[in-house]
Amino acid sequence: MSFLSLTFASPLILLGLLALPLIWWLLRLTPPRPREEVFPPTRILEELGKREETPAQSPWWLTLLRLLMAAFVIFALSEPIWNAQDKGTASNGPLLLIVDDGWSTGNDWDERQTSALQIVREAENAGRPVALAFTSQGGQADLNAKRASEAEAALTAAEPKPVRVELTPLTERLQEGTGTDFSTSIWMASGIAASGSTELASALATLGAEETIYYAPSRNNTLALTTVANEPDAMKVTLERADTSVASSGQITAFDVQGRSLSSGPYNFENDSQTSEVRFSLPVELRNEVVRVGIDNSTSAGGVQLLDERFRRRRVGLIAGGNADQQQPLLSSLYYISRALAPFSEVRQAQDPNVVVSVPQLIEERVSTLVLADIGTLPDDVRKQMEGWVEGGGMLVRFAGPRLAGAENDTLVPVKLRRGGRSLGGTLTWGTPQPLASFEESSPFSGIPVPADVAVSRQVLAEPDIDLADKTWASLADGTPLVTAARRGQGWIVLFHVTADAVWSNLPLSGSFVDMLRRIVAVSNGSVAADRARNNATGERAEVSGAQDTVLPPLRTLDGFGRLGPPDNDTRPLKVSGQELPSSSIENPPGLYGTNDAFVALNLFSQAANLQVFDTSLLPENTVQRIYTAAKPVTLKPWLLGAALLMLALDCLAVLWMAGALRRAARPVAAAGVLALAFAVTVPDTARAQDKAIDIENTLRTRIAYVKTGIRDLDEVSRKGLTGLTQFIGSRTSLEPGTPIGVDIASDELAFYPLLYWPLSDQSPVPDAAAMARVDAFMKKGGSVLFDTRDQLSGGFGSSRVSGATQRLRQILSSLDIPPLEPVPNNHVLTRAFYLLDVFPGRFLDGRLWVETSVTDESDASRPARQGDGVSSILITSNDLAGAWAVEASGAPTLPIVPPNPRQRVYAYRAGVNIIMYTLTGNYKSDQVHVPALLERLGQ
Amino acid sequence: MALTVGTVTEHEKGTGVLARARARAALIPDLLVDAQRIANTMVSGWHGRRRRGIGDTFWQFRPYDVGESMARIDWRRSARDDAIYVRDQEWEAAHTVWIWADNSPSMLYKSETAEVSKQSRSLVLALALAEVLAKSGERVGWPGVTGALSNRNAAERISAELIATDGGTDSSSPQLEQIRNRSELVVFSDFLDPLEDTLKWVDQAAQQGIHGTLVQIIDPAEERFPFAGRTEFRDPETGAKLTFGRAETLSADYLNLFAARRETLADTCKSLGWNHIVHHTDTLASTALVALHVRLAGEGKGTS
Repeated sequence: MSFLSLTFASPLILLGLLALPLIWWLLRLTPPRPREEVFPPTRILEELGKREETPAQSPWWLTLLRLLMAAFVIFALSEPIWNAQDKGTASNGPLLLIVDDGWSTGNDWDERQTSALQIVREAENAGRPVALAFTSQGGQADLNAKRASEAEAALTAAEPKPVRVELTPLTERLQEGTGTDFSTSIWMASGIAASGSTELASALATLGAEETIYYAPSRNNTLALTTVANEPDAMKVTLERADTSVASSGQITAFDVQGRSLSSGPYNFENDSQTSEVRFSLPVELRNEVVRVGIDNSTSAGGVQLLDERFRRRRVGLIAGGNADQQQPLLSSLYYISRALAPFSEVRQAQDPNVVVSVPQLIEERVSTLVLADIGTLPDDVRKQMEGWVEGGGMLVRFAGPRLAGAENDTLVPVKLRRGGRSLGGTLTWGTPQPLASFEESSPFSGIPVPADVAVSRQVLAEPDIDLADKTWASLADGTPLVTAARRGQGWIVLFHVTADAVWSNLPLSGSFVDMLRRIVAVSNGSVAADRARNNATGERAEVSGAQDTVLPPLRTLDGFGRLGPPDNDTRPLKVSGQELPSSSIENPPGLYGTNDAFVALNLFSQAANLQVFDTSLLPENTVQRIYTAAKPVTLKPWLLGAALLMLALDCLAVLWMAGALRRAARPVAAAGVLALAFAVTVPDTARAQDKAIDIENTLRTRIAYVKTGIRDLDEVSRKGLTGLTQFIGSRTSLEPGTPIGVDIASDELAFYPLLYWPLSDQSPVPDAAAMARVDAFMKKGGSVLFDTRDQLSGGFGSSRVSGATQRLRQILSSLDIPPLEPVPNNHVLTRAFYLLDVFPGRFLDGRLWVETSVTDESDASRPARQGDGVSSILITSNDLAGAWAVEASGAPTLPIVPPNPRQRVYAYRAGVNIIMYTLTGNYKSDQVHVPALLERLGQ
Repeated sequence: MALTVGTVTEHEKGTGVLARARARAALIPDLLVDAQRIANTMVSGWHGRRRRGIGDTFWQFRPYDVGESMARIDWRRSARDDAIYVRDQEWEAAHTVWIWADNSPSMLYKSETAEVSKQSRSLVLALALAEVLAKSGERVGWPGVTGALSNRNAAERISAELIATDGGTDSSSPQLEQIRNRSELVVFSDFLDPLEDTLKWVDQAAQQGIHGTLVQIIDPAEERFPFAGRTEFRDPETGAKLTFGRAETLSADYLNLFAARRETLADTCKSLGWNHIVHHTDTLASTALVALHVRLAGEGKGTS
């Protein structure tokens, strides 16, 4: 008996529910007879004169609780099971189980495996032989019925394969006959319509089994990344899905070669839309780093696209001879090239028509391809530079034109050119404009359709040479070369024997021109890599053509769950012929082929896949349809009994409470509970609140901070010193700093403090790298750190002797990005920020204060104060400033001055004021010192 | 049927009780009844009172005071010294103590936390006291049952008489006619009778010049009221029944009232100069006996 997903093993016990009214009546009985107690002081009770009767009925909620308890027990005894799987097979003969294990089954493989295992185990229990076939095995599938335990082992070990499954071979095998009389045939389908799905279903149905069962996922949420295109402004990733009925969304992520996530973008399928797009708007350099794009949380090979050099965007530099006519762009010689190249590469046009400037500039911009449209002789040094660039791997594409045709001794051409040009179809010529001949197999242009309407009316001619044919990538119908190329070192020089505009031919107007340019750009750097891969594979130096078959070893392959890993043993090397990669197969699963530094990426999909959900109405009529069950059956009995027990406990508590037993005990317990709860809730909060309070206070009051070194005496002196300085500043200036605070540089937020006082001693611990990174960030964001080595007596900073504290300072500073330092010059803002000072004494007199070197100009020398832009992020002294500032609570100084000159202490305070004012106001004060000069200039 | 808190026990009879009483009494040192109050009823006895007075035993030497009889000078001692010493004897005297224990049905009550019934405990205490006093040479009597006995086996004879008279009188208060003034009266009872009745006879006794000690035997159930839920209370004396739906609600009021009664009794005793001792049947009998000892010996009041 079952309804919804609930099944009862012993439904008859549910009749017990009929007893509930009886229980209700019993529960409503009047309370039990009173206890009879002999009690001598009954007379005293009489004096109380009170009589109270309990209510005749127990309260309604108690009755309800007990009724519910009874009902739960009854339900529990009827052994309800949630999601019970009573979908066994009915017949008893051999069982044929066909399991789809194509790429689309990766996402819900566990459910499929569970369902299949359940069927196989049932068969095992029933002693039925099982024939297990995976669709990826195609015609090699083993259709002989074996012991179910063998099938179970095979099924447990099975994993989805990253292939698009062809069902036809298996269908043919079935149609040939299996030799076994199967009584049950089951197809655990992927749910995606593949070629031959319907045929396989009908082949199964005609197998003559007693029952034919078709399993499909309840909801087909198969998703695939079909194409990745590196467009000018963004990388566009196209997703496709099979089930278009509902809207869905998610996220895809791009990874670099190390597996680091570079960027994520959300995708969103509208209702009824089959495709969706995600655009990664990243800088080109970053986009070129992407080697893998994957759907988040997808465990299917279809959810991954691997990228190789072909997906990189190449930077192409364009230089044109002559004046680019901006008024009439269509006449500009670069117009067609830039239009043709822009969709798949990044085009950089020379800013300066002067090649002396523009060529180095473009090379500096790391273009991989340089297009020179009708540029004749280059200046010698530019030519040399360009030769070097080409030798180093550059791709130089030149277009002919009047200047090139007239140039002499041009070495940057693939073939020797005849001077002048050839004109066809002119008034004075015999020949007619020539069309293109079809591209040679060995040419990188092979496969591009030859446009019939292209006619070349003028060209430059190559000198006939022995290797001219080898260097020819494209030629005219009469055999004269149209495009020639030659290798120079690592790079290439390609020459179009026509102009880049439509004057000499209408080639630039045709679609083939775009394809040709694209191939050429692909041959540049990136393809050099792929080419190298081939070279490595074939062991010989292949021509760029790539025409011959090359074999690439598998490098890393995708498994059925979309994970990139080492290739399986049975993965075959990828055989590449021509420009296009073969489609992936079971022998060549999607993955990377080649070597680590030069590989090609083979993807499951390289174009729109047109995923469709298999239409189950196409199934033969007698086929039973089922869905994979994700949920395991849940026996509800223990839960119900547990709930009943809980209610029993509640009942007991309620009865105890009504009897008053809890009253005495409950109060402290409840109070303790509330207290504990309150404690638990508030403890973390107080810490946070405290933090927050400090932050808020810090934002409201400027305060000076010192670094807690962990040495108690040192910290105490720092605190007292900054307190003394704070008092001094408060009484002498309009600044009233808050109470100084000690900070832990490893954990406290430093952003609030303009100045960190950092005393050092030879015992000072050197903070770890993370803490130093924080200090570095603090300094770079405009904070200042005042290091005090306090060792003037024993040498001091900047002297030849090195004390322990100075050594510590060196260790600390070694991990910081420290600009060059200098002792405070006489005209530094520090000497004038508040008081006019020439020394910065602390407890000791002679140490100098070191600051960042400010940029000096000769013109600065005469100025009263330096044009210090910003504040020195680091100040170093050895005078023990805090020691001189330190005061006790009574106001008396803590430490003596060396030498004992009270005036020196005042100067120390003044130095402190100047340092604080300097860190707070910066160069504002340096402007202030100009006031006399300004007033003088104003004539006052 | 739930277990009841308290039960009514059988009457404890003399012999067994006497044995227990002797066991308790053995633990108590000789009881020296406060002499201050008994000067007039003093009959020459043989036990010392730890102070100088008329007796045979040597007590102390003390310097001779002018005007004292020369006969009292102890020349032997004086000869050893320049001073003249007088030899003092220890005062030896006996005292009459009347002991009475309540025998009403309410005394038969015993709750589950108590070890014995109140009657049992009070009889043990009474006989133990009698044993102790008799051993100390005091005259002991049970009003209405025996006269004042000065034998050392007074306790035995009292218990025999109690058995003979079936526990003595059933009255709720001791018969005071027999008792001469300035005697000591020790009453063991739960004092659950109406307070006015109790106060009435206490007052009368005090007017007779009797010095009394009231030992209030309380069952722990009576003072803690451990009842909850629907309970029917029955008075063992009158048989009256009283039913309460939720006995626990009475608890606070009852305990107040009970404590008030106890306080009234204690206050009355205090104003009369009597002793009031509270004893619970869940504690050891010896504790009550020690308390009695302390009070009767006057140690509690600091007299010497």
